[in-house]
Amino acid sequence: MKLVADSGLWSTGPLAESTPLVAVLEVSGAVLSWTVDDPSGAASIAFTDLHEADWLWRILGESGHTAVAAALGDRSPDEAQTVELAGVDVHAGSLEPLRRLALGHWLRRWWPASNRDAIAALDAALLDAEIALLTVAVQDFFTEDTFDSDVAGLIRPHSIALGSLASEGDPRVTDLVRACSELAEDIGVELDADFGAVPSRAGRRDDYALAAGSDAAQRGAAIARGASSVNWAAVPPGIFDAAENTVEWRIEPAGPGAKSVVGVELTGVGSPVGIAVQLGSSGIVGTGVLDADGGATIPLVDAQHQPITESAAWDHDWRSTTVTIGVGLDESPQSRERIRDFARARLNRPAADAFLAEILAAESDY
Amino acid sequence: MATTLAVTQPRRAVIDRAWRAIGPGVEVLSSHDGSPLTRTVKRIIDPLVLRLRSNTQFSAPFVAPGVAEAMHEVIVGNGPELRAAAAWFEILKRERRRLRITTGNAQELYFPVCFELAVTKGAPAQQDPAAAEAVLRDIHADRDRTAIEVLNQHLSDRHVVTRLSDQLGRSWRDVRAGTEITGPFMAGLTTVLGPADSHTSSVARQRVWNALIADAAPYNLGAAARSEASELPWSIVELGLSSVEPQPPPPIVTGADRDRPLNRAVADRVRGTLRRALDRDELPDIPMLCAEEVDRACAPWGLLAEDKQATLIAGIEIAACLAPLADAVVTRYQLAGHIQARLRKEAYVLHARRYLADGGPIHPRQQQVIDDLAAFERPYLSRLWARLHGRDVWQEPCDDVDDVRGLLDGVARSVSLDHRQRIKSMLELQVAG
Repeated sequence: MKLVADSGLWSTGPLAESTPLVAVLEVSGAVLSWTVDDPSGAASIAFTDLHEADWLWRILGESGHTAVAAALGDRSPDEAQTVELAGVDVHAGSLEPLRRLALGHWLRRWWPASNRDAIAALDAALLDAEIALLTVAVQDFFTEDTFDSDVAGLIRPHSIALGSLASEGDPRVTDLVRACSELAEDIGVELDADFGAVPSRAGRRDDYALAAGSDAAQRGAAIARGASSVNWAAVPPGIFDAAENTVEWRIEPAGPGAKSVVGVELTGVGSPVGIAVQLGSSGIVGTGVLDADGGATIPLVDAQHQPITESAAWDHDWRSTTVTIGVGLDESPQSRERIRDFARARLNRPAADAFLAEILAAESDY
Repeated sequence: MATTLAVTQPRRAVIDRAWRAIGPGVEVLSSHDGSPLTRTVKRIIDPLVLRLRSNTQFSAPFVAPGVAEAMHEVIVGNGPELRAAAAWFEILKRERRRLRITTGNAQELYFPVCFELAVTKGAPAQQDPAAAEAVLRDIHADRDRTAIEVLNQHLSDRHVVTRLSDQLGRSWRDVRAGTEITGPFMAGLTTVLGPADSHTSSVARQRVWNALIADAAPYNLGAAARSEASELPWSIVELGLSSVEPQPPPPIVTGADRDRPLNRAVADRVRGTLRRALDRDELPDIPMLCAEEVDRACAPWGLLAEDKQATLIAGIEIAACLAPLADAVVTRYQLAGHIQARLRKEAYVLHARRYLADGGPIHPRQQQVIDDLAAFERPYLSRLWARLHGRDVWQEPCDDVDDVRGLLDGVARSVSLDHRQRIKSMLELQVAG
């Protein structure tokens, strides 16, 4: 095992990939990361506090844990230091439950649900329930309160949904919900025991209609039109369709001037209201926010902040237009494609580490 | 050195092995693979079986073979009590279900009680739901509220309040800044908050801290905060310790500002003590607590003991270097650098989980919490002050430099966790709504 000083922390070395391809897990004294579609399951461990990582012997063996502590001591991870530890290695399979838990947390936030690409959404209540149970199973790694040890926080929002799921009669679901309600009782979370309750079924609306926002970009005569993609890291999950080119924009005459009409395809139950839209096209800009349908009508101004005229709009070359949804940042479309491939592969043939929510999504695909 | 270290064992591994040697009968206190639950270790083994407070040799993260053997013997020797505690826990859990109690974490609340029952009563009788019910009712009774009601009653007496106000006036006037310079104290902090990579340097670090907690500087700075606040190296308003400069004397019953530690009313401070006193056996004497709190509220930084005052100054210096969402921060102290590196990593977890975008909000609704994170020093100092206040009341020392550094680090961790959970819930609101 080799430890390197990375951004002021001791680490086994950073992963080659970055978000959104990385699944992370915060345990006591360390942050663990994996590349989601890396079949080798190799982990990167960054120690936030070596003393708190009192579980280290479980994955390195006692002599390995002792060796790491002895080698690092109170040494500060400054500059480009490297510490080689001969004969110290992560025991095969010892991190597997943690990797699966990290993957579960990743699925909650990055699963590319898409109507357009036919990638079914995952049931949020079932996924969270399974993550909660997995967290308890690896409680040895959560000696201190961490961001990821909040089991109650995972279950509490689904109290009604879990009750109604259990009444559907799928034995796999019933078993999971039963285990989860026992857990809930022990940790002081009140699950709704009323099995006749109206299902909220957040996150599994397979009948969700195509967004009205995309229609908005179809009407009227357009000076120009085009499509672009949503950067996933720029927006919260559970709102937008995860396919490419789901942002349609048009430039239209508006009185003496011109406006742009933007529509984004939605999937899921989250609301797009208030999310920023920015259009830029060599000197011309427009900013606005999305409405409940994922649409926005945006006035356009030139470099002098003056509204542009209709004739200027007709004269303008709109080919370089970019439309940004949410925060402005760079994200590679290849990463998104890799994630959609990963999701499709998991739906086509449920993996050994598949979550029940994935298995049900795969079954609903027929 | 390598040979002596090679034979030490991680303490959790020692505990794990001893636990397995107990054999069957402790399953409810164990995880599915047979190791003790983390809560079993924290709530039963450490405090009640190994009794770390008096047996400090058992608390080291790595222990020598002799110590490991002793720990093993103590744990295995307590096997009968632990089995009885497990049996009690099963009964309490069953009773909890029957009584439909859903508040609190069953393990957290019942584990210590179960061990006490095992020691005092042995294994539970086969059918004794009445005893179990009595235990549960006692645990879930709101002792906190009882004590606070006594306090409210005490302070509803006009004469009591007048007497406390007079005392406050006198105590407040008694505190005056001395003429000693603060330079040496601040220079010493660089050592205390700096690295120590050898035995010699950690001994030196402890020696410097011993000198600093005897230094007049923290007292003088605190006294200056109420008269010549402009002479301080920082602004107590910007630090969030007080809403105005100079610091005014605190009120007795109602505070204009409960958020600022130095402006908090005496009654609110005592309430804080009572809330944190849940684990204590005896209910404190309320009139005495109030009188003492008046003196404490008048002391520099609202803390009586010099080591607490010195720790707060160290915390103020650390806080200035912490900014979880900022890329580059000048950290004047090695400890601050380490805490900042950790905060950055924790902020990265939010980014990797799509709760933050590029260090900023991913949804406009998060803006307020993000702004709070940018002003990290305020919640940091507020929480540090509360911890120090607790230690001041219970006379728990801050004289061990490693313990103080651990406190300064731990407060950052808890504020960061709190903030991150708020950032997360601001986003999840949207899904629920």
